[in-house]
Amino acid sequence: MCNHSGKLMAWLDRELGSDEMVELERHIDACSECRSRLESYKQASATFDTYCDAVASAKTHRERVPCWVPVLTTTAAVAIAATLVFVLLRARVEPPTLPPAIRVQAPPPAAVVENVPAPSKPVQRHRPAAPAAAQIANWQPTARAIQISIPAESMFPPGAIPRGVNFTADLSIAADGSAEQIRLRPRLNKVERRQP
Amino acid sequence: MSGDSLPLALPLSRFATGTCEVTDLYRELREPLLRYLVCLGLSRDEAQDVVQDAFLSLHRHLASGGSQENIRGWVFRVAHNRARNCQGSYHRRFGEPLDLEVDAQLDETTPERVVLEREKFRRLGKAIALLSESERECLLLRAGGLRYREISEVLGMATSTVGDTIERAVRKLAEKCDV
Repeated sequence: MCNHSGKLMAWLDRELGSDEMVELERHIDACSECRSRLESYKQASATFDTYCDAVASAKTHRERVPCWVPVLTTTAAVAIAATLVFVLLRARVEPPTLPPAIRVQAPPPAAVVENVPAPSKPVQRHRPAAPAAAQIANWQPTARAIQISIPAESMFPPGAIPRGVNFTADLSIAADGSAEQIRLRPRLNKVERRQP
Repeated sequence: MSGDSLPLALPLSRFATGTCEVTDLYRELREPLLRYLVCLGLSRDEAQDVVQDAFLSLHRHLASGGSQENIRGWVFRVAHNRARNCQGSYHRRFGEPLDLEVDAQLDETTPERVVLEREKFRRLGKAIALLSESERECLLLRAGGLRYREISEVLGMATSTVGDTIERAVRKLAEKCDV
């Protein structure tokens, strides 16, 4: 083994004095054994650095993603999917409950003429209507309500409503000027029924 | 009034200067320190705790007017000693072999390259496990960017011994890994 080989790493790391650096550099130029050894040292050193980086990176990666995270994520996804399916199925089984005001608006056309005087009662659904909704459905126009005549042709296609039938909207106005409550009732053109 | 405020100015300005120095050093040394401590066998969280403690000590050291000579070696030495205590408290062997299962982190394109790198790392891991504790620590500190004089400060050995130890350790790795 060459006498200078014990200082190759120090030369590589520039840890020698300036005189020693110059002397060893000259020797390396002339000594093939030291050149070969220096090359293998460089490669081993670089591989060691890469290895340390990989170890640090691997540890960080493993610690940042604990083993229970995938299990927890899968469980959460299944729970969310089951909740969505349950909600969707429930929405399909239950018939949509229309607002009471709308139910009053759309009685069957034939029965409308026969039952014009009788105030329509809301159909009892599976769920009891909320107090506010029941109040709206049973609302009877007072003297302050405004009556608006609406031609049947403006709401229904031609032929859908028997001739001579039109509609009247009873509208109450709130203090701020907005429409507070509304009731739509059919009426005959020539024979106006008495109010119940 | 001006005479009353004068004595306060001196310690405050020195405190501010020390804070800037600690902040700059923290930016420079945080990652190398973490890598060194993790390669010594600490978990990432433990290593972060040790680094935080080390820089807190550095701040106190500078604030109390401590020596600023070889400050990088000082920080590594404090972290190294705390890592030893941490390892002892967790009843772990200090300087356990580096983790061999690093192939998952290889970011190579071709399967042949991945196989070659994996094999090289496997041989290197075995070779590192055969190094002595001081050889392994010297190499790790050198990989952290420390000069031989700073390594000697951390490990409490002569600078010439550090040079010999590093030369011997690298020679062993080169022979075992056949690189």
